[in-house]
Amino acid sequence: MIEFTLNGRSVRFEGNPLTRLIDVIRDDLGLTGTKEGCGEGECGACSVLRNGKLVTSCIIPVGSVAGDEIVTIEGLRDTDQGRCLVDAFAEAGAVQCGFCIPGMVMAAQALLLTNSHPDEEDVRMAISGNICRCTGYDLIVDAVLLASRKGEGLW
Amino acid sequence: MVERCYVPKSLEEALSIRKETGAHPLAGGSDLMVQYKQGLGITPVFPFPVMIISSLDDLKGIETLEDGSILIRALSTPAEIASFEGMPYPVRCAASRMGAVALRNTATIGGNLGNASPKGDLPQPLILLDATVVLKSQDGEREMKVDDFILGSKKTALADDEIIYAVRIPRVEYTHVYYRKIGTRRANAISKLSLSALARVEDGVVVDFRAASGAAGPKVIRSHETEDILKGHGVDEMDSLMPAVLEGWNNAISPHAMPEYRRATTRRMLEHFLSSIAAHQEGGIIE
Ligand SMILES: Cc1cc2nc3c(=O)[nH]c(=O)nc-3n(C[C@H](O)[C@H](O)[C@H](O)COP(=O)(O)OP(=O)(O)OC[C@H]3O[C@@H](n4cnc5c(N)ncnc54)[C@H](O)[C@@H]3O)c2cc1C
Ligand code: FES
Ligand code: FES
Repeated sequence: MIEFTLNGRSVRFEGNPLTRLIDVIRDDLGLTGTKEGCGEGECGACSVLRNGKLVTSCIIPVGSVAGDEIVTIEGLRDTDQGRCLVDAFAEAGAVQCGFCIPGMVMAAQALLLTNSHPDEEDVRMAISGNICRCTGYDLIVDAVLLASRKGEGLW
Repeated sequence: MVERCYVPKSLEEALSIRKETGAHPLAGGSDLMVQYKQGLGITPVFPFPVMIISSLDDLKGIETLEDGSILIRALSTPAEIASFEGMPYPVRCAASRMGAVALRNTATIGGNLGNASPKGDLPQPLILLDATVVLKSQDGEREMKVDDFILGSKKTALADDEIIYAVRIPRVEYTHVYYRKIGTRRANAISKLSLSALARVEDGVVVDFRAASGAAGPKVIRSHETEDILKGHGVDEMDSLMPAVLEGWNNAISPHAMPEYRRATTRRMLEHFLSSIAAHQEGGIIE
């Protein structure tokens, strides 16, 4: 049995430890904010935080996160930091089809947790593993910079 | 299809499972989970038993030992390696450029060596620095050079009952150091080339000189004979010795390993490093 924390609540998983973390999150726990794009760690759509650090949940087996704290977009959304990020993405017009956005927000959160005043280059680096097919990235970079300004003191 | 997966709670338990079942360690999973993936929403299926070692504290952490060497335990990630104070420059560069942010929090050094892919980024600087790998089994421990551990593409000297415990980088003094990687993984992997080099110049004499080339063939290339050409000679002899060094280096790379234009690129990188030593005798990072 694998025990870990998801969005602050403890979870016990009894199935195959090789089950991908994303499948546990989406199918077993019903949290569908985390998206699956490539399934190979290349697109970032499935990004979550593990102990505060960004990881792609499609290449991690649930057996690897025993004892860890996982945060998904659902857990982040209801915090002041999460609300600030989501509002900034909306205000900057950074959301088109929306598919990449949960992963982008998680990548932005991972950045702001270690660097609350990033510059443009820092942001581009932080989201370099997240693919967006719609926006051309500039609006997303603007959104993250906006969040860091508006959320002064939050991170 | 074998469908066995173990999640050991301690290193001892892992070593005993390894001995009894031959289960392959899964550390970060960034090679294994992708290689054996079945499709979106489906659990990967492995043709061998697997043990998930990701949570074993005994395999975590990096420290500087009394003799100045750095011990990097197997589960250390590229992010941890890149940010460790005192990590030699070529290792830090290689680690900090692997994949993107999430991959650098997932991949492990044990997995990079265990996978032994010619595309892997860490073996090259480790071999430059004469790093060793520490292997553990129920019967004890052995240590060998990374260069000897990696036998070829995807082949290692890991025994059926062993796991990689750590990598140890001896203290290496250098005055000049260089790291360069060309081409990205996402583009054609075959187009990737990398070179690291270092030299120690004391009172105008080249006391140490090394170079290592990655993704040039099935193994990282070093040429001790070529390195010896320069050692013990004055920096002022660089211009006259350079042709022999470059020629020796060229011969060390098998023609099968690299088409001519790629050899030429590697040679140019090395030439740049050597001429920079002659030009900047005070030393530093050669860009
Ligand atoms: C999106 C993406 C980008 C990548 N980019 C890069 C890159 O830029 N550079 C690069 O070098 N690689 C890259 N890789 C490949 C991979 O991330 C690395 O090879 C990584 O270091 C593997 O480590 P892991 O712990 O995740 O491996 P795992 O998949 O857990 O294991 C890989 C192999 O090593 C063995 N192994 C693992 N740990 C041990 C141990 N302690 N003892 C014995 N055997 C062990 C396993 O049994 C397996 O055979 C990338 C992969 C992905 C998915
Ligand atoms: S779905 Fe996980 S990185 Fe693309
Ligand atoms: S908004 Fe459509 S993929 Fe990014």
